[in-house]
Amino acid sequence: MSTPRDASGRMPGVAEIRAVPAAAWRRACLDAHAHGERFGGLFSHLPASGPPRLRAVFSTPAGERLITCEATEGAVETIVDVIPAAGWDEREAHDLHAISFIGHEPLRPLIDHHAPLEAWTVPTVGEDVHQVAVGPIHAGVIESGHFRFHVVGERILHLDVRLSYKRRGLETAAAGRSLGDGIAYAQRACAACAVTNTVAYAQACEAALGLQPDDHLRRARTVLLELERVYNHLNDISAICAGVGFAPGAMAYAALKERAQRLNERLAWHRFLFDTVSVGRSAISFDRQEAADARRELAAIGQEHQLVWRDLRFVSSLQERLEGVATLSAADAERLGAVGPAARASGLRDDHRIHSPHLSYSGFSVAVAEAASGDVAARTNQRALELHQSLELLDDLLTQPLEPGTVRRCGEEASTAVGRVESPRGVTVCVVVREGDRLAALHLRTGSYANWPVLAHAVVGELLPDFPLINKSFELCYACADR
Amino acid sequence: MFVLLNHLQRLRRATPPSPVRARGSLAVRHVDAGSCNGCEHELAAATNPFYDLQQYGLNVVASPRHADVLLVTGAITTRMAGPLRTAYEAMPEPRLVAALGDCALGCNLLGDQAELAGPLEAILPVDLRIPGCPPTPKAIAQALTAALHRLATD
Repeated sequence: MSTPRDASGRMPGVAEIRAVPAAAWRRACLDAHAHGERFGGLFSHLPASGPPRLRAVFSTPAGERLITCEATEGAVETIVDVIPAAGWDEREAHDLHAISFIGHEPLRPLIDHHAPLEAWTVPTVGEDVHQVAVGPIHAGVIESGHFRFHVVGERILHLDVRLSYKRRGLETAAAGRSLGDGIAYAQRACAACAVTNTVAYAQACEAALGLQPDDHLRRARTVLLELERVYNHLNDISAICAGVGFAPGAMAYAALKERAQRLNERLAWHRFLFDTVSVGRSAISFDRQEAADARRELAAIGQEHQLVWRDLRFVSSLQERLEGVATLSAADAERLGAVGPAARASGLRDDHRIHSPHLSYSGFSVAVAEAASGDVAARTNQRALELHQSLELLDDLLTQPLEPGTVRRCGEEASTAVGRVESPRGVTVCVVVREGDRLAALHLRTGSYANWPVLAHAVVGELLPDFPLINKSFELCYACADR
Repeated sequence: MFVLLNHLQRLRRATPPSPVRARGSLAVRHVDAGSCNGCEHELAAATNPFYDLQQYGLNVVASPRHADVLLVTGAITTRMAGPLRTAYEAMPEPRLVAALGDCALGCNLLGDQAELAGPLEAILPVDLRIPGCPPTPKAIAQALTAALHRLATD
């Protein structure tokens, strides 16, 4: 099976690099944007010597482009006025490497926790406006992060999100490791997106090494990605039910998630499918019997889901709590760079699985509900829709046994490549820069990172007590964003 | 909703009870001090209908002031070391500290040393160790019910 190449003959994933002087940074980024190239992240990196380096990823279905510049004067012009999705990226680059983005005013601290409250929150004034601080430790079994709500009565006027409490410096620590060892850092970023992050990493490394996966390896990774999606979507529907205190729904879906994770353990020896993805080979295989057993169990999970889901649809006390809450319009989703089920629930027909030549998604079509109303109800229904789709995909993929896969050499080596994979929360971008067999830089921008600012936008005007529900309808990882 | 409740009842009846039964209860406060979210998923799973920790007197409570056990996950980042100590100081005596998962135990830690303050042992006195990456809900349920049993029979 040959891999389609783009017009310039590059392999999918190998980035066309455009190095520009700092003064031309904004123009280069805006040109790419104007040509319809999709923003995929902006990263700063401090090499062993010299000034910090900026990298921005843009993509089209045909290929990846990486715009780079050296921030020689410690400043470049901002792109956030035209590409609001770069807001968090610029704030992070400023906190990490003191790069100023001229025109991004005020450039509020994002991951610098030493900044005073007035510096990182938006000032709000008016009658009865007050702040409610939540976290970093939350009341339930939830990851750590701090929310600063500006409210009038019970209504949210503005939300400042401060994450990075879980920052482990995984990208920094990965630099200098071998390409093979680096995958552990991508995996440890997040358990719930472990497969996505490692497949994105492996694809980037393989593209940089001029390798492409064979059919077995493509199928193995697709099976793993869909198994990850199944247990995540089951978890999310359970969490949404818990968000309105509807225990029977929460428990029924928690039990289904447990069954899905037990299946993961039977198939791949790990409930979160850890260590199932490697660079250049597949780490799992299963025979005809195991594939048939998995298919049977997935069918049983699907049937039980249908049964419970039908019941939930008729529980008006649940449905009425979901409808019309935190509506995200298609225009806002597009403008803010929303990804994943949250974007599709607002009507954006955008799923990276249709642009994944190195995975087995031929014939895949994006699932968007007719009533993509962009509220909590739509995001819940979107999960059910995609769950159904993933179960069908798996049913098809598991009709044959899974043999050990490998890679073939088929192109030139390159220094920089991009891996892009659709996670249960949206597209995840992984940039690998190599020097020989070593990682010079690793950048991971997950679906959660893209959607956190979107969540902050969606809660404006909503009720403070609805925040847990709204948060769960996006179900973003903190670990992925903090790294 | 009848179908749903019926379904849960069948599931409950089909699930064997835990072999360890103890009188009394433990209130557990969880603090994520820099995990990958795996331990959180599994701790939450320990309350699903298959393990049902609440049935054995183990409850996750909202405030450290109501807690007997501080259950800590993650590599203990420098940014979470402070909030973690604050939570510990808010707890009434007697109090126990549990390290949940290999990161909190200091095994196979990944990350930039400048961002990490852990393992948990370096920050707080650890009474209970639950290894695993992440520990399965079964292992979590067994470790916590066994701890409750020990305390109840001491």
